[in-house]
Amino acid sequence: MEKAVTENRNLEVVRAAFREYYFRQSKMIEIPEGIEKREFGYMPFGQGMVRHISFKGPGEVLAALVREVPSDVYCSNAYYRFPNLPMQEKQWLGADLIFDIDGKDLDLPCVPSHSYPVCSNCGHVSAPSESSDYTCPSCAGKKAEWVSIPCAKCIDGSKKEAKKLIDFLTEDLGIQRSAIRLYFSGNNGFHFHIDDESYRMLDSQARSDLVGYLSGIGLMAESIGVRKSPGGDLAYVKFPKSGLAYGWRKKIADRLKIDNTSTIRLTHLVQQKGGFSAFQSEIDAIARQAGVRIDPQVTTDVHRIFRMPGTLNSKSGLVKKRCELDSIDSFEPFSEACLLGDSRVQVQMKTHVRFKLKGESFNISKESAELPAFAAVYLLCKGLAQVA
Amino acid sequence: MGPKDWEDDPLQNADYAKYPFLNDVSEFIRRSHFDFEEFDRPEMKDIVDEAAKRIEIEVDGKVYPDLDRFQKEVWTFLASLMMVKSLGIESIIRKYALFEAMRAENFLADDLKKIKDQNKIHLLLLKVFEELFKVKIKADHDDMRFYKVHVTDYLKRSSHFHEQEWKLINRMVNDGYVFLDAEETVRLFRNELSALIYDRVKAMSIASLPTSIKVKVEELRNSLAPRYEYRTYAVTEYPPCVKHALEVMGRGENLPHSARVMLATYMLAIGKQTDEVVELFKNAPDFNEKITRYQVEHLAGTKGSRVKYSVPSCEKLRNENLCFATEDCAGIINPVQFGRWKRQ
Ligand code: SF4
Ligand SMILES: [Zn+2]
Ligand SMILES: [Zn+2]
Repeated sequence: MEKAVTENRNLEVVRAAFREYYFRQSKMIEIPEGIEKREFGYMPFGQGMVRHISFKGPGEVLAALVREVPSDVYCSNAYYRFPNLPMQEKQWLGADLIFDIDGKDLDLPCVPSHSYPVCSNCGHVSAPSESSDYTCPSCAGKKAEWVSIPCAKCIDGSKKEAKKLIDFLTEDLGIQRSAIRLYFSGNNGFHFHIDDESYRMLDSQARSDLVGYLSGIGLMAESIGVRKSPGGDLAYVKFPKSGLAYGWRKKIADRLKIDNTSTIRLTHLVQQKGGFSAFQSEIDAIARQAGVRIDPQVTTDVHRIFRMPGTLNSKSGLVKKRCELDSIDSFEPFSEACLLGDSRVQVQMKTHVRFKLKGESFNISKESAELPAFAAVYLLCKGLAQVA
Repeated sequence: MGPKDWEDDPLQNADYAKYPFLNDVSEFIRRSHFDFEEFDRPEMKDIVDEAAKRIEIEVDGKVYPDLDRFQKEVWTFLASLMMVKSLGIESIIRKYALFEAMRAENFLADDLKKIKDQNKIHLLLLKVFEELFKVKIKADHDDMRFYKVHVTDYLKRSSHFHEQEWKLINRMVNDGYVFLDAEETVRLFRNELSALIYDRVKAMSIASLPTSIKVKVEELRNSLAPRYEYRTYAVTEYPPCVKHALEVMGRGENLPHSARVMLATYMLAIGKQTDEVVELFKNAPDFNEKITRYQVEHLAGTKGSRVKYSVPSCEKLRNENLCFATEDCAGIINPVQFGRWKRQ
């Protein structure tokens, strides 16, 4: 069968499942506050992004979703006077603070075991392998794109980062828990939307400083009292007069087991490390470890359109689904965010895969299989199967 | 020139004398029905002289340190505003505003450190930060040496500072607040205070200038203006980013550090001498010849690390919002390449 034709049939099946979702599950769609000041955008299946759209009310949004059945739907975190004009004429009125935690940025050890190389040249899919060298067994091409089927450990990794972020936001930044809206991203991570007006007017530079704080970048040894002696790489200890009781200073002090009376212990620690620069590197490493892995681009870009809550992610067919802060530990994205139907679809497999969706385990080693729509769409979205 | 009736106010005339730009002081001036012509009266001569001296010192890049009693301070401030306004030289207005701000900053840091009366501190915070800048600042009740600024109020200002210690991560942060000492608290607002004073000058309307002031303005013009003669550069063939920086400079406005580096490295790259490059920065409100020379020599590689710094790439400049590309920029990746294509 011609490649283009199969592609079209794959899209049709996915699109039909998406249409059914937008038609039946419209109550899942979360319409953002201040809708008339937001910019919307969407990707029609198999085409480029359509941006600079505005809607007057929730009804218009829902109608558009059912009519267009896009592969992905986005909404600005920014508010504009004229959301549908070109960027230069929109008149920015502020933007909600947002964060993106992506499992693929966490360098988790489990990733190679569930990442499938897809040949960039011929689309051939190989089984996961630990080696980073790639040669396509079908066309000998050297370039591949790795498609990941996130596992439970990936989700746990993202949850751990999300919980760290919640602590930073509530303890250090004083943001109310009720102002934090947490979502499964629809693929392999979490999105945060912060409903706190005081953060709305921050420009990109201020948000970048905030990202530095949350990620643990740029912490000076001086902040915890280790100062460089003039000349040479020696250091002396003089604690900041505001103390070490809170925020980053406390995090570091706790890890080093010091407080603002431990001059001798700290001096000794610096000597042990081998001087000021070595100690500073140690601080850098500890801070990166204790910081949160967030995507800096997402938070600092104040003109972005961001996946809209309650809509489907075309990388997986899963929903960007709300997760209550208190139930993050028990939240199971692969069942709770899997909301497509279960009519049967016959697919042809490109490789062997194992995954779990809606509480059902799939271990497919046959060449073709008949699967419920939600599972078939998952594999089609990942490019690991095609419609038979 | 009667005293203001703020007897039961914890802040007294001696306090207000330090902050002549406060709303209460403007209100006092309004209610005193002071006529500008009164500056011509013989007993005002001191005040007029003092105002001129103050401007000269500030234009020289120094803080005017003396503090007199309330009435004298108020009229001196008013006279200096009028003089700077009538001089009408943009770089002088900016410099005056900056050093007036720094003067107030010194007084304010001192007050915040020394005043023990909580009511008085509270009122000062209210009058300065809340009334002028719409920012609530709280005293830290656990430790009198510190003030609490909301994280977002802090970030809006600190993110324009370049020093690493102003990065939020190097601050004591808890429950939505940044803890700052008195100096840091007032430093955070320097730009706004200077902008406020700048706006006061700009907003002033003087129907007719009293003779005594007019005479002083002419004296000042003769002594100061030669330094500020409009320097025009042959900017036509410079790339848009450099042109923009020169224009900002020409208006006597502050250029961000990264823009200064771009301007200096570009000028050095096209073969300008250190002296010529230093000269370009003369209009900057915070110009300090020694520091600027040192920095330019550092970039030129004649001092310090002996590394000659290259001109930042267009991509870097774009990321820093310093790029103002036009179609003539097509195909270049560094400002030094600007115009080369066409010439070939
Ligand atoms: S494209 Fe390069 S040369 Fe042109 S304005 Fe931007 S930074 Fe300057
Ligand atoms: Zn191939
Ligand atoms: Zn995994």
